[in-house]
Parts: sequence; structure tokens; C-alpha cells
Amino acid sequence: MPIAADILEALRLELRRGTLILAVLGTLRAEQYGYSLKTRLAEAGVDIDEGALYPMLRRLETQGLLVSEWREEGKRQKRFYRLSADGARALEQLTAEWRAMNAALNSILPKTNTEGGRP
Amino acid sequence: MTDLVERYLATVERRLPETTAKDIVAELREALEATLDAKAAELGRCPSTDEVADVLKAFGAPAVVAAQYEGRMHLIGPVLYPWFWPAQRAAIGITVAIFVVLAAIRSLASDNPIQAVLQSMEKVLGWGLAAFAIVTLVFVLVERTGDPVKLVEKFWDPKSLPREHIRKPKSLFESGIALFFDVLFILFWMRFIPFPNELPLREGASVAITLSPAWGVVYWPILALAVLAAAGHGFDMVRPAWNRVRSAMSIVGYATGLGVLWVIFQGRPFADVQPQPGTSPEDLERALSLVNGVFLVSLGVAALIWAITLGVEVRRQIKATRLSLPETCAPA
Repeated sequence: MPIAADILEALRLELRRGTLILAVLGTLRAEQYGYSLKTRLAEAGVDIDEGALYPMLRRLETQGLLVSEWREEGKRQKRFYRLSADGARALEQLTAEWRAMNAALNSILPKTNTEGGRP
Repeated sequence: MTDLVERYLATVERRLPETTAKDIVAELREALEATLDAKAAELGRCPSTDEVADVLKAFGAPAVVAAQYEGRMHLIGPVLYPWFWPAQRAAIGITVAIFVVLAAIRSLASDNPIQAVLQSMEKVLGWGLAAFAIVTLVFVLVERTGDPVKLVEKFWDPKSLPREHIRKPKSLFESGIALFFDVLFILFWMRFIPFPNELPLREGASVAITLSPAWGVVYWPILALAVLAAAGHGFDMVRPAWNRVRSAMSIVGYATGLGVLWVIFQGRPFADVQPQPGTSPEDLERALSLVNGVFLVSLGVAALIWAITLGVEVRRQIKATRLSLPETCAPA
């Protein structure tokens, strides 16, 4: 029986949620403002809605992982974000966690899509 | 910034906590400006209203975007929550009202009215809690089975966003009170409610106030204005945000009101006084100048307020027109 589309969508969103934070923290090793961050992420193949990105940035800043400042650039006030010292440490630990998980998953998951399925 | 973007930001802002709203909206504004600039660069021209609406639609429904800033799971989500407390107030209010009526009937029929009221009070708490629980359950069920976030994201239309950036929406209470006084005035003006017209001056001396004939000339215009005001406040209860139709109603109302005041000013004195037994000619003279003085100040203040409000409303219309015009931009 095929998996219902909404179940698959919910699983996909759950899988992406944690990785998006890692992608944002990783990109913010260099200073970015909201739109440039979204563009960088999109270029790297990570799509994120603005409606989710900006609240996430704010949350990460409240948690002390990011710092931000308003600055004028191109005749427009923009809020620039970058990793804080705590954020850099968190990124390091999360990256190690990600790599370990990735290695573990690689050993578990089938090598290609066609390989999966029935035992 | 286009009218749609301003309306979108104002709608988001109203759903955010006051302490952080301005900062969040400034950032969202920056994000939307950057996205629209990129869109303009891609198109080689300014985005049309439909294209701006598409950008906003992709950004997310205001209720959902504002809720993301709270960052916690809700038993009742952001789409249904604005209706949750009004529904609770209505349910509990109706329950309490029913019990108050029943308690009143029971106490009137009882030999011991105080005991009957106390017995009813015990029950009303239980029924109030039951009403709260039932309403909460209904909201939770709709939240869990209906997926309102998905529905609102699919069906919300940026072009139907209210114009909250022109004027803060009026509260239901404010409009309700205004409507109540409008109805009261209409009933008084049509003489369904008698108004005491006797002015006491001192012990044993008073005068009866009668309006000057000029008021008779504007009887129907004043009634029409009062009905228009009541219709406007009723309209506000349904559509509390600023809109052109309601604003036009106000402009017509204030302009006509100023015209009516001008007619009344032309027909001065505003009122006449008739002596009651025991009133001397000096009392009469003093009462006449007092009554007309009060009318002059009251109507003068009303004229000033209406003229200012008329100006403000015309300015809002101009602002709405200017924001609705296609934006001129120089795409990169």
C-alpha cells in the first residue's frame, strides 16, 4: 500500500527541521543579512521559507548562538547576523554529531534508491 | 513599499507581542523589500499587484508567520486562537446569563429567596466550567482534525488583507458603546425618550428650555446623520479595520454635520427659555445667556472636532490612494 502523501510530508518536515538549524549556523560563520542568508542556503540546495527562517534566526539569537546588528547597506537598513562564540562551539559539536550520524546512517541505509525496499 | 506589503506587515504586527513587534516587523519589512527588489530585477520592471501578492503568499499567512515567533507548540494553533477567547466569553456569558435569569425566577417564587440564589450560584460555577471545557474540546478537535494552518495557507488572499496600517481596527466594545449612544440619541431625537428640559436656577425658580426654530429646519438632516452614524458603528462591528466605504460614510457624515451646525449657528439664539412660576425677569435673562452660552461652546467644540476628524479622514483616503498606486522603481 502506498504511503499517504501527508504522512510522507510530515516525516520529511521532521527530518529537515534539525538539519535546517545546522545549515543556518554553518552559513552564518560569515556575516549575512536575512535575504542574503536565504539566497546562500538556496544556492547550496537548502530551501527554507522566510516565514520559518526569520523566527528561527530570532530564536537562535535569544539562545545566544547568534549575534545581530542593524546596519545600513545599499541605502537600506539591514539586520546582519553572525555566529557568536557559543554558536561557534555549538556548530562544532553539532557538526561532529551530524558526521557521526551520517556515517552510521550510511552503513544502515541502502546505497541507492533502487536497492532499498524488500529484503 | 506597496499598499499590500504595508497591510501585510500591519496584520502581522497586530498579532505579535507589543515588546518585540516593531523590531520583528522592521526585519520582515527588510526581507520583503529585498525579495521584491530581486523580483523587480528578475522582471526588469516593478512587480504588479498580483506579483506582490504572490511574494506575500509565499512568505506565509500573517497568523502563521506571527505564531512562528512564539516558537512553542499550541493545543490550539495560531489560526483558531484569535477566536478561542471570544468563543469562551460568549459561551460562559450565555451560561451565566441563563443561570441569573433562572435564579431570579426561582428566588421570586421561593419562600427563602437568599437561599434560592445561593443554591443557583453553586451550580453556575460548575456549568461555567463545563461550558469552558466543551468550547476547548471543540477547538482542539477542529485543530487536530481540520489542519487549519494548511487550510489558511492555501486559501488566504493577500489582496483581501485589512487596511490596518491606515488606522488601528476599532474594538468591538468601542463600536458597541458608540452604537448604543447613537440609538439612545435617535430615540431621544424622535421623542421616544423624554428629556428633562427644565433648568433649575435657585430655590423656587426655574425655566423651561425650548430649541430655536432653526433646529426644526434641520430636524430630518440630524436624524439622517444619527442613523448614518449608527449604521457606520454597526459596520465597524463587522469590519473593524479601515476601509474606503466606511471612511466615505464618515466624510459625508462630518461634512453634512458641519453644514447642519452652520445652519444652526445662522439661526441663533440656539434656544429660548420660558419662565416657570416664581422666576424673575433677571433670572430669565441670566438663564437665556447661560443656556445659549453652553450651546455655543458645545456646538463650537463639536464643529472643531468634526472639522479635524474630517481632515484626518480625507488624509487617510489620500494615503490609501497613494499607497494603491503602482510603485515606481528602478530595477537593478
